Amino acid sequence: MDVKSKGLVNSLLPRLAVAQYVPTPILAKAGPLLASLKIGPPAMQAALSGLFSPQAGEATVPFLKMISTWVLNARRAAKQGKKVFLVPFNFPCEIIHAFEGAEPLTSEVLSTFGVVALPEQGEEYWDMAMALGLPDHMCSANTIELGSMLGSADFKPQAIISSAPGGCDVNSKIHEFVAHYLDIPHFFLQKPPDDGGRGRAQYNVYMRGLIRRLEDFIGEKLSEDRLRSVLTKANRCTELYYELFDLQKAVPCPVPNIFSLFLYGVRFTMWGTDEGIKALEAMVKVSRERLARKAYPAEKEIARCVWAYTSYYYDLYGLFGWMEEKGYSHLGDGLDLFFPRMVDTSSMDSMIEGLAESAWNMPMTRQVGAESMSRSWTEDVIWAARELNADCVIYCGHHSCKQTWSVVSILREELMDRLGMPILILQGDSWIKRMTPMSVLQEEIDEFVKNVVAKKSTPKRSLKKRRQKRMEEMDS
Amino acid sequence: MEDVLRQSAVLQNELVKGWKEKGGKVVGYTCTATPVEVLEAAGLLPYRIRALGSSETEMADARLSRFNCSFCRSCLQLGLNGSYDFLDGMIETNGCDHLRGMIENWERAKGFGFFHYLKVPHVVDEDSIPYFVEELRIYKRAVEDHFDQAISDEALWDRIQARDRIGGKLRAIYDLREREKPGITGAEALSVFLWATAVPSQALEDALDSIIEQRKDHRIENCRARLLLGGAATDEVDFVREIESLGALVVTDALCYGARAFMPRIESSPGGDPFKAMAESYFEKLLCPRMFDDFASRRDFVFKAVKRAKVDGVVLVHNKFCDVHGVDNVALRMALEKAGVPVLQLEKEYGAKADLGRMRTRFQAFLERIEGD
Repeated sequence: MDVKSKGLVNSLLPRLAVAQYVPTPILAKAGPLLASLKIGPPAMQAALSGLFSPQAGEATVPFLKMISTWVLNARRAAKQGKKVFLVPFNFPCEIIHAFEGAEPLTSEVLSTFGVVALPEQGEEYWDMAMALGLPDHMCSANTIELGSMLGSADFKPQAIISSAPGGCDVNSKIHEFVAHYLDIPHFFLQKPPDDGGRGRAQYNVYMRGLIRRLEDFIGEKLSEDRLRSVLTKANRCTELYYELFDLQKAVPCPVPNIFSLFLYGVRFTMWGTDEGIKALEAMVKVSRERLARKAYPAEKEIARCVWAYTSYYYDLYGLFGWMEEKGYSHLGDGLDLFFPRMVDTSSMDSMIEGLAESAWNMPMTRQVGAESMSRSWTEDVIWAARELNADCVIYCGHHSCKQTWSVVSILREELMDRLGMPILILQGDSWIKRMTPMSVLQEEIDEFVKNVVAKKSTPKRSLKKRRQKRMEEMDS
Repeated sequence: MEDVLRQSAVLQNELVKGWKEKGGKVVGYTCTATPVEVLEAAGLLPYRIRALGSSETEMADARLSRFNCSFCRSCLQLGLNGSYDFLDGMIETNGCDHLRGMIENWERAKGFGFFHYLKVPHVVDEDSIPYFVEELRIYKRAVEDHFDQAISDEALWDRIQARDRIGGKLRAIYDLREREKPGITGAEALSVFLWATAVPSQALEDALDSIIEQRKDHRIENCRARLLLGGAATDEVDFVREIESLGALVVTDALCYGARAFMPRIESSPGGDPFKAMAESYFEKLLCPRMFDDFASRRDFVFKAVKRAKVDGVVLVHNKFCDVHGVDNVALRMALEKAGVPVLQLEKEYGAKADLGRMRTRFQAFLERIEGD
């Protein structure tokens, strides 16, 4: 263990405290200003330019304040003797928010903010995990944060919840490893890969079992009133989610590219809280205004792209901002496909059933944790592509997503057969720039849009004309 | 013995061919969590999918990716190129993400005469056991319906007892293997276990009796180091042979094609619910890193084998991109090293001859390290 290293969370805290305590008007001006001055390391410039893009407007500050509240609450809770749970992104955090004596911290979101906000982009924590001998095909989304917990003097949770068994081996295994290594309790919400009534019923049983075990560990009975309050707010988040989704259907897309990340940033951290609602309301407001103004960052919307699974996070501007400037709309990715439902808050039973349904619909659990690894994922991506009037699909090819890698060929065939839609299959690490640099990804996206997507919408020229044009070009 | 060794090196062995010629049906399965008794009780021949070190993956690579484990790609290749056309059906389990992708692509590309997905929970607790027991009943009904063959509880108990006897005989081979002067090499033992999951049970029982008889007085002398081989789905006899060619002997294992497939079995008395009995053996005692909240059982299993077989060192392998073994092996290595047991942790490509030179160097260095201790 490198005791000299403060660790990821401890390093993020001062930065998040700035977002928390600096008044909104000042932060709203300082962020874009710093981005435009282009000071600091390139990674930080890219992060600031991505987060404070002119398109995101007023939505960035409430989002950053929400993230800082989330982390600082957990820190404070630990100091007060409450329980801090490390959870994966596919666990509905509102369950933990409903407990007075507990706070959730989501490993993938912490990793993402480490990558976005720290000078070394979290790579030293990845290296700490590798130094223990863990394989290099681990998921950096988890391993950056968990490497920090394993190898530095970082903040440690009191327990880990894993909801990945059934959806992702690599995510489940690293959580198990960390719980074992740190000798802290480990709770499970496994998904039976049975999409029928039997599987649903069993999942309800598992959810109730988990809540029972959490109550025992936290030493607090889940309060019906508190749960109702959280789920009422979660229902408001659900309304806002669908409002944003509807706005995304407009052509050109009025929803800024970076909102894809902001949207699931809320889902994975503060769904069911006032801060989460504020962040979503700001996103809807910005998008509505842009729709009214017919605002679009490029001269023309050239390609509408649904990302099939994750995006890339080590260079927010390089992906989200760059795409926008080229006229390539990012219509959200697989992590946005969590299809929340309004929870019936009339009784404890109905609320727990609602929680189970929310958990069932979390990204990855819903898609690849299903009876077939490809069917639910394919259906969701095709549905989103159709609803959002997409021109193409891009698969990020995050190297550790073995489940999607093993059925992406099926997604490709189904997209082509059913929609005649092309898919770009990239390869890289969504959180670590070492594997594929952003410039290479940009080049591949650009080539794909120009040569495949844009050509699809261009009327076909006759062979004779093409030959003639080629001859003319050769002559010239 | 020689015939078993020869037959273990081919996919469709003579007994499978004979079975098919008589009109018998063969059903493939991929994972040790599959109770084969159900298939046998329906008069079917269960056949565990393997790749036997085949490293060709061209056809599979058009479907799976280079980020999927090469063992699953090799199995898919054999499925796509027709090598497994003798199968009349397939039982899938949610063993791991790679395995699920392999079967899903195989089914999509070629289809199976009969296909059933047996869903195995990842955590054993009071909620998941009844689910799995019910899952076994669903599995039985699916087999009955497709093959039009009723399966009685008596027939299931008959098969459970047969499997108990087979487990006992396989353990007897481990006794031969683990004793001070082993009667069988690691490569031979792995061949026997592979063959054992691809033949009718009566022929298997007879052959195991014969092997035990043949080898009870056989003594392998002058072993350079006694090793335990643990880790991923390893059906590569050549890989074990390579280790042993350096003078070491793999005297025991914790492989899912080896000890983990039959050692944790619970011997039940007939008369009760056969599905509960099978759930106990195949699920509650399942020693696989795809199970969670159960690392202690897997670690203890390895520790017991280390003591029982008096090993000098442990080799833990996993195929590149195998997450479940890749992570578990780290935790196992840490536990073993803490207990003073030398460990060699290897990540390798499945069946790749090009990898053997590198492996050889690592084994050599490991053996020198053990000898120097």
